[in-house]
Amino acid sequence: MDALLLIGLSVVTTGLITGAIFALVAAGVTIVYGAIWLPNAANGQFFMLGGLLVWSLVTGWGMSPLLAAALVVAASVPFALVLEKGLIRYFYDVPDRNIVYLVVTLGLAQIFAGIFSSTYGRWTDNYSLPAAWPGIVMIGPFPFPKTRLLVLSIALGLLAGLFVFLRLHRVGRALRAVFQNREAAALRGVNVRGIYRFAFVLGTLVVFAGGTLFAMAYSFDLTAAWSMAIVAFAIMIVGGPGSVLGSVVIGLVFGFTQAIVSVFANPTIATFSYLVAMLVILLVKPSGLFTR
Amino acid sequence: MTDRLRVPRVAGVVLLVALALALPVAVADRRFYAFIVGITFLHVLWTAGMNLLSGFTGLIPLMYAGLAGIGAYVTVNLVMSAGVSFWLAMPLGAVAAAVVGVVLGLPALRLRGFYFTLSSLVIQSALTLLFVYFPRFTQGDTGISQIPAPTVTLPGLGTAALTGVWFEETLAVAAMLAVLVVWRVTRSRWGAYLVAIREDDVLTEALGIDVTRFRVIAFFISSLLAGMGGAFYAHYVAFVSPRSFDVLTSLNIWLMVAFGGRGTIAGPIVGAVILAPIPYLLQDLYLYKDIIYGVLIVLVTVFLPAGVWGSLLPRLRARLGAAAPARVPGKEFV
Amino acid sequence: MPPSPRARRALALALALAVVAGGVLPAAAQPRGEPVKIGWISELSGTWAFFGATCFDAAKIAEEEINARGGVLGRPIAVLPQDNRTDPAQAVAAARVLDSQDKVLTLSGPTSSDTALAVYGYAEQNKVPFVVPVAAFPRLTRPGTQWTFRVEPDAVGWGYAIVKFVEKQKPGGTLGLIYSDYALQRAITAGIKHQAERSKIQVVSDIVFPQGATDATVQAAQLKTRNPDYVVVIGGGAFDVTITNQLLDVGFRPAQFIHPFGTVKQILGWGARSVGSYYGTFFDHSLANLNDYARGLIEKFKARKGYIPAYIENFCYSTVYLIKEAVEKAGSTDRTKFRDALRAIDTKEITTGIPIVFDKNGARKEYMYFMQIQEVGKDTYRSREAFYIEWDPEVIPVYQLAP
Repeated sequence: MDALLLIGLSVVTTGLITGAIFALVAAGVTIVYGAIWLPNAANGQFFMLGGLLVWSLVTGWGMSPLLAAALVVAASVPFALVLEKGLIRYFYDVPDRNIVYLVVTLGLAQIFAGIFSSTYGRWTDNYSLPAAWPGIVMIGPFPFPKTRLLVLSIALGLLAGLFVFLRLHRVGRALRAVFQNREAAALRGVNVRGIYRFAFVLGTLVVFAGGTLFAMAYSFDLTAAWSMAIVAFAIMIVGGPGSVLGSVVIGLVFGFTQAIVSVFANPTIATFSYLVAMLVILLVKPSGLFTR
Repeated sequence: MTDRLRVPRVAGVVLLVALALALPVAVADRRFYAFIVGITFLHVLWTAGMNLLSGFTGLIPLMYAGLAGIGAYVTVNLVMSAGVSFWLAMPLGAVAAAVVGVVLGLPALRLRGFYFTLSSLVIQSALTLLFVYFPRFTQGDTGISQIPAPTVTLPGLGTAALTGVWFEETLAVAAMLAVLVVWRVTRSRWGAYLVAIREDDVLTEALGIDVTRFRVIAFFISSLLAGMGGAFYAHYVAFVSPRSFDVLTSLNIWLMVAFGGRGTIAGPIVGAVILAPIPYLLQDLYLYKDIIYGVLIVLVTVFLPAGVWGSLLPRLRARLGAAAPARVPGKEFV
Repeated sequence: MPPSPRARRALALALALAVVAGGVLPAAAQPRGEPVKIGWISELSGTWAFFGATCFDAAKIAEEEINARGGVLGRPIAVLPQDNRTDPAQAVAAARVLDSQDKVLTLSGPTSSDTALAVYGYAEQNKVPFVVPVAAFPRLTRPGTQWTFRVEPDAVGWGYAIVKFVEKQKPGGTLGLIYSDYALQRAITAGIKHQAERSKIQVVSDIVFPQGATDATVQAAQLKTRNPDYVVVIGGGAFDVTITNQLLDVGFRPAQFIHPFGTVKQILGWGARSVGSYYGTFFDHSLANLNDYARGLIEKFKARKGYIPAYIENFCYSTVYLIKEAVEKAGSTDRTKFRDALRAIDTKEITTGIPIVFDKNGARKEYMYFMQIQEVGKDTYRSREAFYIEWDPEVIPVYQLAP
């Protein structure tokens, strides 16, 4: 009985924590794509940048992981603004800009991957942070590390905050109006370019937050960039581009599918199962589950 | 198209063909450069196939490298385990890739362009997982080494392995054939249909054109070229592993198409010729070469938005005095 | 740009120092003439750049030492690097340029499975000697191999050694396997499963993760319910550290862990929580039998890179010395003579004194240490030798187990 409970609780916590991080990154990606039509192929590298910077601050400067994470997420704002001003905004009016943006962001991804590989990649092959909150809390028979509990709460808190912001705040609502219909939003007096910039900054910030949380919960290496980029795209497509709700629901579904299937089959099958699930959903509802 | 352009165009093509055939001979005794030339031809072949889909139908198949992998693994297994001749195994491998390509392209029949692109990215990662997971056919991520060079039997001369400059010449011919096929397809009525589908599939359907059929055909040809390239790659490099056919390879091939100019015949060739050799030529700058590669891509997108060739072509036309109408770059044929 | 006065001063100082040093150092004959070239194909960029870079730096130290002591056959030795971007096709291209352009005596350098195999194919097809410092696939020395020599024991054999270790620690014990789906891991576990049957060790759990997996909590819980005596943990990259931590989280004790290999960064990654765990290795700075070469390597490497070398660095370092010795035995830089000298060599690893003898396929007489971690600090650690074993390369059918 205890064994069953142990495994059951491990499934719930794993599903929640991986799902929440997936959801966060996918939400960042979907905000940018929904507003600007910018499929950011460099989002995995942004995610990685967030994690690596936290790692540097913590291991190099002895900063506490939480403080480092907060600083890095704050630093993502000027980072995104510079990128927007220097590069992203030039393509706002290109008709098939999604493709142009895919090229540009692939170029960016290559640049960041190159930088990481010639710096961090030569220093070590694994990046591990000390526990942000050492110790373990017992949930019945299941020992749950407090750091992961912390990461989970922050991730869920951020998702909830994002949600409230998009529903209730003036800017958030303008953002959603742009998601739904650019022209109509412009006619109603929404500053579409301003919203584009805002969406890019917000999306980047959320992706960075995902990266820093991931770094707190797991050891990681440079291969995580591409895996995360692809998972985030997959969640966005299934959830429906531009839908933060879709990202959250599908992110959690992906996290739980992987965790549950892991119980019955080997982890490769588990990974495979959500890829197949994604294809099936796409065939049934090509525009994504949560599009209006 | 005016007649004034025909002469330079024909001359250009003849020159290019001559150059392609002469290049391997010119670098024959510098095997390293010969190898780069060979790899570049392979990428010309691959970009031609990718271009047929991404440039002319607007569907970007990012599982392209996975399809090349299927072509490669089928061919290598037939040659090394079943003892089939490369020249029989290669077409079989290509057809296998084409069939898988058509099946995996099915979502495209329902998905609007860009969603298909993103989902093909996921299909690609599933294919990579499969390559690693079935080591019986792929030897997992250790890869298959010592893949033999194809042999050629000439009447009266006996059998010889296709090595050295002969292999590069073969690749040159294969690449040119691929470009020729894509050129023929796009120049035919099919090509016009494909572009019509890219521009507006609903309208095209309404005009009584079987959109599905043409998309399937485009997928078939494109994947066939992917598989063929994969088979040649395996036997040329003499080594394959799942990493040879992963998502980065797909993205790279597509980048070459976009970099050169989507939807033109020459653009992808230009893209492949510029980008494919970079990692090899910048050996001494290994710490910076990825960065240089990325910066190059960003710069070209900013300053030559329709790709190198796609942006230079209208200027070239203007200089040659042709009264070419101002069209949206990247959407015309050469 | 003309050099600044400061740079010029520094240069003058360096020259003066060089002159003084030249007068003080034992008068080794300055090596002169065409260098003896080693083509070093390595992962200098890309996914596993860490291993390529760390290995190359160690090889460089050996090159400098050899040249400071008179070189080889009176000629300097030169380790020529070529980056393979952790990409097999690039590795083949690199082999080509080193073989045909630089006309190197021998190839060496790869630290990754598939790049080493790509170079292996080239070397065997083109009859170029290839000395593999750190790659553990049996296939690199499969029967019929003519030109390749593997310095690191093969991974299937590690599996054999692990089971022998468990057998000694707890006869009739149980074993859980948890690992990533990489060829190296598959080879090690194939060896474990094969030998476990023969050693009456029961494998109670066999969990394999796809590449790119990030979380192992569910699997850790499952493994806990099976409660094996020992767990063999072999994640790929950083996932190894994640699995280790998550197993500790669900209540495994450190002393139940056996890691088949431990690089420095890995051990530091496991951290203080893992004190008491075991790892396999072929060289460790905590070993008692270190000689002057080993201590020199550790000191120089630490000064250069800021961390201590472990088995990877040692293999890369001693491979250069091995090549030097074979060149001296061959008495020339003819490739065939060099290959024959390697085949006939019967020597000791320069840093440890462990014998180096190759069998007919180029596989080395094999050995392995198992160390127990005693202490892990911020950038150093200490461990203690718990078990040592030597075996014949074909003690178990390695070529069938990892084809």
